Amino acid sequence: MTAELETTANNDRELVARTQEGDPSAFDELVVKYSPRLYGLIYHMTSNHEDTNDLLQEVFSKAYRSICNFRGTSSFYTWMHSIAVNMTINFLKKRNRRQHPSLNDPDSHIENDPDFIAATSNGDPTKEVSIHELQKKLNAAMMKLSHDHRIVVTMFDIQGIPHAEIAKILKVSEGTVRSRLFYAHRQLQNSLHEFRRK
Amino acid sequence: MSHEPMHHVIRLKRYEQPPEGYFDDFLREFHHRQRAELLKPSISSLVMDRFSALLSEFRVPTMAFAGTAAVAVIASIAILSQPVPSGGPRTLAASYQQPPVTIPKMQPVSLRFDNPSERPPLFPPYYMLNARPANHESPLSF
Repeated sequence: MTAELETTANNDRELVARTQEGDPSAFDELVVKYSPRLYGLIYHMTSNHEDTNDLLQEVFSKAYRSICNFRGTSSFYTWMHSIAVNMTINFLKKRNRRQHPSLNDPDSHIENDPDFIAATSNGDPTKEVSIHELQKKLNAAMMKLSHDHRIVVTMFDIQGIPHAEIAKILKVSEGTVRSRLFYAHRQLQNSLHEFRRK
Repeated sequence: MSHEPMHHVIRLKRYEQPPEGYFDDFLREFHHRQRAELLKPSISSLVMDRFSALLSEFRVPTMAFAGTAAVAVIASIAILSQPVPSGGPRTLAASYQQPPVTIPKMQPVSLRFDNPSERPPLFPPYYMLNARPANHESPLSF
């Protein structure tokens, strides 16, 4: 993963330089590259597709307006993720708590995932839990977490971002990331005890 | 207690994806929003436009405001550059302080003379104004 991040950083540096020199097509390439990743980050925080779309547009608008000030002290990856995290958390703080979720349908490939099979059967072949039921329970459990805990779960568990990178994005220590994850997992266990793997 | 099982369950959320074709349209919508932002005037330009319209209603030459603003700035600088007295209110009050005045306790005097020996003498009171100071001479004396 570290080597992959390094290759990404080198490619990004070139695209950022071209954007700063006035080539908007270079920024388009960055949008295409980062929109799926940042979509996931924002979506799992908001649980609402429409809010995610609006926020993602604003994140890239802000990044485009600020790119001339990007000096490269951190990687573009870290910089973009920091903008997305900050804007999402600010949005959540202002949003009405009773916002209805607007969840995306899970991809059909989930049915073949061993984790899904283990989570839904729980060793009991007679017990069947629908995908949507699992999705609802997972979403409800995530929404109970505070913003700080939900973001580390989103980045580590769902997106697979390493602890060290999460620490750079959130501007906290790696120890803080680990302790937040530990606490969040404990909270999720209480909410999802029926889906724990044995 | 290991949290590995929870990690496996939460990871399933990555299968939640936006509708097909969403990211293909995303860039197009981003360009559309950028063009809309360029056409939208900024708040500062709106304020300047309103202010200019207000000026034209009063038929005041534009340069007059520039001169007035310059005078206001110079006056502000002149006022602000005045030296502030080093003494504060406490020091000024302290400089006016004098020893407190003590008023001797006055004993009440009775005006009744029951005993004849207590009566004051019958001589007329001697007023200091009748006596002339030794160095006083009539201005007309030669």
